[in-house]
Amino acid sequence: MGHFLDNNGFLLVTLVQQALLAMSLYFPLAAGQLSLASPGFYALGGYIAAIVGTLDYFAPWRASLGWLVFPLEWLLAAAASALLALLVGIPALRLRGIYLALATIAFVEILRVLSLNLEITGGAIGIFGVPQLFESRWGYIAVFGPLLVCTLVFGHRLERSRVGRAFRAIREDELAADAMGINTTRYKVLAFVIGAVLAGVVGAMSAPFLNTWNARQGTFDASIAYLAYVLIGGSRSIWGPLFGGMLLAALPEVLRPLKDSRLIINGLVLVFASIYLPQGISGTLARFSPGKRKGALPAGEPQEDA
Amino acid sequence: MKRAALLIVNCLLFAGAAHAETVATPIPIGIALAQTSNVALLGEEEVVGAKIAEKYFNAQGGVNGTQVKLVFQDTGGDEAGAINAFSNLINRDKVVGIVGPTLSQQAFSADPVANRLKVPVIGPSNTAKGIPQIGEYVGRVSAPVAIVAPYAVKEALAENPRIKTVAVLYAQNDAFNTSESKTFQETVVQRGLKIATVQKFMTTDTDFTTQVTAVLAANVDLAIISGLSADGGNLVKQLRQLGYKGAIIGGNGLNTANIFPVCGKYCEGILIAQAYSPGGDPKNAINNALIKEYRATYKKDPPQFTAQTFAAVQVMVEALKKVEAVTKSKIGKLDLGKAREELNKAIRTGSYLTPLGKINLNQGGEIHQETFYVARIKMDANGKTGKYIYVK
Amino acid sequence: MGTAQLIQNLLNGISIGSVYAIFALGYTLVFSILGIINFAHGAIFTLGAYLTYALAVGQFGINGLLSGMSLERQLPFALALLVGSVLAGAIGVLVERFAFRPLRNRGADPLLALVSSLGVALVIVNAIQYLVGAEIYTFPAGVYGELPPALMFQVSGHPVVIRTVQAIIFAVCLLILAVVGYLVRFTKFGKALRAVAENPATASLLGISVDRFILVTFFMSGFLGGTAGALVGTSFGVAGPYFGVTYGLKGLAVIVLGGLGSIPGAVLGGVVIGLSEAFVPADYGAYKEAVAFAFLFIVLLFRPQGILGRKQLQKV
Repeated sequence: MGHFLDNNGFLLVTLVQQALLAMSLYFPLAAGQLSLASPGFYALGGYIAAIVGTLDYFAPWRASLGWLVFPLEWLLAAAASALLALLVGIPALRLRGIYLALATIAFVEILRVLSLNLEITGGAIGIFGVPQLFESRWGYIAVFGPLLVCTLVFGHRLERSRVGRAFRAIREDELAADAMGINTTRYKVLAFVIGAVLAGVVGAMSAPFLNTWNARQGTFDASIAYLAYVLIGGSRSIWGPLFGGMLLAALPEVLRPLKDSRLIINGLVLVFASIYLPQGISGTLARFSPGKRKGALPAGEPQEDA
Repeated sequence: MKRAALLIVNCLLFAGAAHAETVATPIPIGIALAQTSNVALLGEEEVVGAKIAEKYFNAQGGVNGTQVKLVFQDTGGDEAGAINAFSNLINRDKVVGIVGPTLSQQAFSADPVANRLKVPVIGPSNTAKGIPQIGEYVGRVSAPVAIVAPYAVKEALAENPRIKTVAVLYAQNDAFNTSESKTFQETVVQRGLKIATVQKFMTTDTDFTTQVTAVLAANVDLAIISGLSADGGNLVKQLRQLGYKGAIIGGNGLNTANIFPVCGKYCEGILIAQAYSPGGDPKNAINNALIKEYRATYKKDPPQFTAQTFAAVQVMVEALKKVEAVTKSKIGKLDLGKAREELNKAIRTGSYLTPLGKINLNQGGEIHQETFYVARIKMDANGKTGKYIYVK
Repeated sequence: MGTAQLIQNLLNGISIGSVYAIFALGYTLVFSILGIINFAHGAIFTLGAYLTYALAVGQFGINGLLSGMSLERQLPFALALLVGSVLAGAIGVLVERFAFRPLRNRGADPLLALVSSLGVALVIVNAIQYLVGAEIYTFPAGVYGELPPALMFQVSGHPVVIRTVQAIIFAVCLLILAVVGYLVRFTKFGKALRAVAENPATASLLGISVDRFILVTFFMSGFLGGTAGALVGTSFGVAGPYFGVTYGLKGLAVIVLGGLGSIPGAVLGGVVIGLSEAFVPADYGAYKEAVAFAFLFIVLLFRPQGILGRKQLQKV
């Protein structure tokens, strides 16, 4: 067992981390909002943890708080992500479908260019020597694991709550939901903020996990990768992003023996999975159980604020 | 709760590490470089250097008769990929030490992992500040600052004493080039020259007309460029195409044959500051061997990253020999943990005559390189390939 | 800013903007018909550059499966550009056939097309690297014949310069835009294309073979992307399998700015973004990358249908 974890500890925690990021995209999607902003909040959370962990200005905090500084970083990341998500979300969520996706891609890119150029984010090199919570990489399962469990429980409960029903109503038909008296803007922003806070906290946990943080964390590529996690996993339940994130994140590592051609195969798998698992893994599994839902998310049309 | 989890984790780890095992033969040395992603542009040059080194040192008898085997793991271009490659090398491939990764950013992520597990790492191309400070098991063979910059300026002045005004151009999104440019600017001022304009660009830029017109408008005698191959080469090309006639100095980032196809015939005459020079010391036997082997396959001179990776493997192999001398035991008989520890000590003792010239790593793992070089680019008649003619 | 500087920036902006325009046209054509964004378009751009290089120069470098090989026959550059772009178009057709059509036929979530096209992009980019490595390939100086490298003139005592290659790229782009404009505006094919874009169901009732038009659209899209890649390649070199990524991303900003699905919009968007990048002062060059996205974000917030896009009522 010890050996197995030595070999694969980092990878296993990475799978959990990627599943969490997939979930951060799942929540807005549950309310019908295709937001690709997660990498932006992930990057923000990571920078907050890295800055609080390394900057001299925060040395007294670190000295007086001890290991409690880490939970503080998570809280700060959550708060900052929520705030930024409100600022960005309230105007951006008037957009639908692919338009919202494009706006969030722009948001991620703008944040990336900013962090590449600011002094406090360490420019191109980024921030290194981020203080550690655990000696081994596997140890980080002790933070990512509980977060995963909490998120799963939260997601599961949400689906059955009034808020979850409102999300679903908006997802199925926003105009009808509006007509039914659901405050669609409020719920859309709420879903967006939930995703942002999750991504921000994962980022704050990831900075120590990766030892360093730079502008290469949280990019357009990541945006699309998370989308792939959710859609291949299945976007109709919280289990989808869990399966999708873990399987797809493991793929390049599982294919490692193929050496030079591993990413070619990885790409082919994405194409085939899209075609043959149109409901996602969880959807395909659920097909054999009663009570399945059907219907696809509309691509959406450009819409002026009504 | 967390404490308890930590305790369990540490027990598991301890159980893992307690397994006594000896080093495999042939002796596995890990190579963790970017073989995929956009960083492969750099990683590919390094892979070639490692492969040539493996062949060369095994032909020389390896480590006192025991062959070495390089184990390649692709890091991709990201941080997680680097940690995965390192984990595989350390735990699955049981290497004695690791050469890699390609980028400084990746080094900041993966080197601490190796350091905690007490596995020696030598960075072949990590030039950022703070790399050797990651830990006692981390070293590098890539010189961090542009000590060489002043020499290039001196050489340009020796050739044309009438140089008065200078334009400085640098890639602002690249840490190495930004700091190299600072050194250049200080040197220029110390020499009593006037900096007429400082122009910034990005390593991702392809169009430099704005910068070039500014240089032309300033009417300078010398342009000093700190950039990488694609951007630097294009900048040189556009400077010349648009009519710049003065001298050009290129920083260390332009020290690669990759710029020849980019600027073509316009590369002619650029003075390049080099941490590695193919023609630097004709009496350097190991450099001649590297050049010969490289030319046989690729018909040109090896680039700096190739030479630096070769040097990194060389340091590993020669340090392994020292380990055998110190422990009076074959490496294959040593416990893996012990071998790694001894290897790390050996890396930091004595000096190495590498293709880079004479180098040594101090106790902190930082490289001390004895000579840096200045070369002039001489292009072939067809303007496709060129040579670095060693000047100083 | 002096007059000379102003003119210089205008020239640079229009030159790069014209490349953005033809690249983005490829995006917008597919979007107008399928309502999806083909994330493999940036990879097709890269592919076009490599194909043209292979046909015109044919010498491979020191990495990848084809290292050290060279093709026996080379085509003249103009022909290589044409054939390379046609091949890129053909790959576009294959992409549609194998990655998009099966999804459509299954009535799958349109978002899956994004994932599928991402998979295609991964395959193309890594296959290129597998074959010819990640090194830089460049076209020899003489691909455009024996022309002087640059034109220079003086404006109020300051030099203004145009690189010959910039002028040629601009001319080629204009030519392509004219041809595409003609095809879409004035031919029967174009009318059918617009009908399919307007409403696929009605179009098929009118006897238009929708699948065939989608194939043609993907061919045109691939052709345009490939041409753009090859042109950029001749100007700056083919800088590795990933050099299309930036264009792929900026192309998104271009098509949204002009109006998603609008052909003149893509052209206008390309020129506007090219110009705004050219006017970013060199000292703030680091932020140049963000210009297109700042535009994208602001346009989406205030005029999501883009400059030339039509305002659409929401379908209920």
